[in-house]
Amino acid sequence: MERREDGRDWAYRVDPYGFERPDDFDYASYEAFFSRYLVVLTRRAIKWSKLLKGNNNIQKSIKVKRYIRKGIPNEHRALIWMIVSGAQTNMEQNPGYYHRLLEEEKNDKLVEAIKTDMNRTFPDNIKFRKTADPCLQHALYNVLVAYGHHNKAVGYCQGMNFIAGYLILITKNEEESFWLLDALIGRILPDYYSPAMLGLKTDQEVLGELVKMKVPAVAELMERHGVMWTLVVSRWFICLFIDILPVETVLRIWDCLFYEGSKIIFRVALTLIKQHQAFILEATNFPDICDKFKQITKGTFVTECHSFMQKIFTDPGSLSMATINKLRETCREKLLSQG
Amino acid sequence: MSRKKAARSKGGGAAPSAALPPAAQGPGRAAAAGPRGSATAPELPRNGGAAAGRPSLSSSGEFYDLAFKVMLVGDSGVGKTCLLVRFKDGAFLAGSFISTVGIDFRNKVLTVDGVKVKLQIWDTAGQERFRSVTHAYYRDAHALLLLYDVTNKASFDNIQAWLTEIHEYAQQDVVLMLLGNKVDSAQDRVVKREDGEKLAKEYGVPFMETSAKSGLNVELAFTAIAKELKHRSMKLPNEPKFKLHDYVKKEVRGSGCCRS
Repeated sequence: MERREDGRDWAYRVDPYGFERPDDFDYASYEAFFSRYLVVLTRRAIKWSKLLKGNNNIQKSIKVKRYIRKGIPNEHRALIWMIVSGAQTNMEQNPGYYHRLLEEEKNDKLVEAIKTDMNRTFPDNIKFRKTADPCLQHALYNVLVAYGHHNKAVGYCQGMNFIAGYLILITKNEEESFWLLDALIGRILPDYYSPAMLGLKTDQEVLGELVKMKVPAVAELMERHGVMWTLVVSRWFICLFIDILPVETVLRIWDCLFYEGSKIIFRVALTLIKQHQAFILEATNFPDICDKFKQITKGTFVTECHSFMQKIFTDPGSLSMATINKLRETCREKLLSQG
Repeated sequence: MSRKKAARSKGGGAAPSAALPPAAQGPGRAAAAGPRGSATAPELPRNGGAAAGRPSLSSSGEFYDLAFKVMLVGDSGVGKTCLLVRFKDGAFLAGSFISTVGIDFRNKVLTVDGVKVKLQIWDTAGQERFRSVTHAYYRDAHALLLLYDVTNKASFDNIQAWLTEIHEYAQQDVVLMLLGNKVDSAQDRVVKREDGEKLAKEYGVPFMETSAKSGLNVELAFTAIAKELKHRSMKLPNEPKFKLHDYVKKEVRGSGCCRS
């Protein structure tokens, strides 16, 4: 597609978050989807403004959970994420903490690792370009450096750059991004990013067990061809679907992730796998399987974020936290015994 | 991982080779394909071709006679993904790369002395904590390309640690090559070529300097690996032994001259 001249069309080449659309972006089917989604967005916006009327505070409740599953309007997203994740409370209880972290003496190794990834975080987003004003790389650098000093056991792990980047795009605020990152890494996700990455490895195995229970034919295929789950899903977990699924879909997933916790990741993964079971089962060898797992994260099924989010709560069937915790325990022990 | 914007591969289109290269019918070719009891085995036999009698069809639709697994390793940011994309697609889009998280692979079929060799090239995250995830894949690698960045001293200093790691986890007979990448950035260079050569000599590893940006020696690095692996797996009775070190020495281009 040619780079179009007039401003209105130019706006279409970059999405509302600043990401350039790829050259092969299917504008026609996206517009067809978006004109329908706009109706949903409008309805939700009205509902949310009634809910928040007069007070910018909400309590966790069945109604709020339902509202969140149907999507938080972008203008309220940062606020609601802050509240339901507990980040708001932590920020209020620790005034000035973030800025003090930035004034601390820096760990050189940490700073070096973060710097290496500065130009490699969203080069396709115009707001992260060195030429952008303001350039979000500065905010990204600050948030990651502050976090590495705040949570020394984790420091910096690749993947966190993308997560912090999304938080900055949504909150447009360094300090809030820092506290949301802390909510995710410190509380919501179980030990994905620390040097041993045990929580990550555990959850990959847990997904394997869940697939065995819910989509056994796919589990059998993986087993037969010796494909380890880590190979096909590690980025799903580490990047929380950034760069895997479309931006709008990722944000809808994160809405629920902040409210309901890490089991949402399993719901999304299981939905992707179950929905494409027949397609995955066409694979006849190892590279084929890997390729299928890349393809199932593309196309209208995932672009249509509203129906996708409905499906993640129905398609995989029941998924209790008790089941996940039990599986986490057994998988973790198995990993530890393997050394 | 490369961005969606990265140039597409030139596409398959390799003609199905009806006639086998003579070497492929030679004796002593282990048809050892099959499971090796390893959870990570990507269906490539340990030291030989994937095809016993006739060419196989890779998932991209290209025919090949032999298949090998190659891994790219080295510190974060030394240019592993860029090197792979340059080799695979012939492209280098400055500022279009994102940090690699986890592990991924791409295939490329190249012709070595008339034999179609498929390289399954594994790209890994360089950050230390990801190594516990990527270790598991070393074991099945036929070749390892170990990279450092000539503009980053720490990445060079870490090469010894990488070699220790490789000795611990890779097969003993793994084909290994040391690459000093980013030689296009002459003004930022902090590791001299002689330092790279010296270290490589010390460990008995072939060495070359590369640039994913200009393309210098990129094709050569992979071709040399492919030649070595091909000769190892299907040596003909009267064929002279292929000497990887000599081949690299003869073919390598200096960073001073124009791109290869």
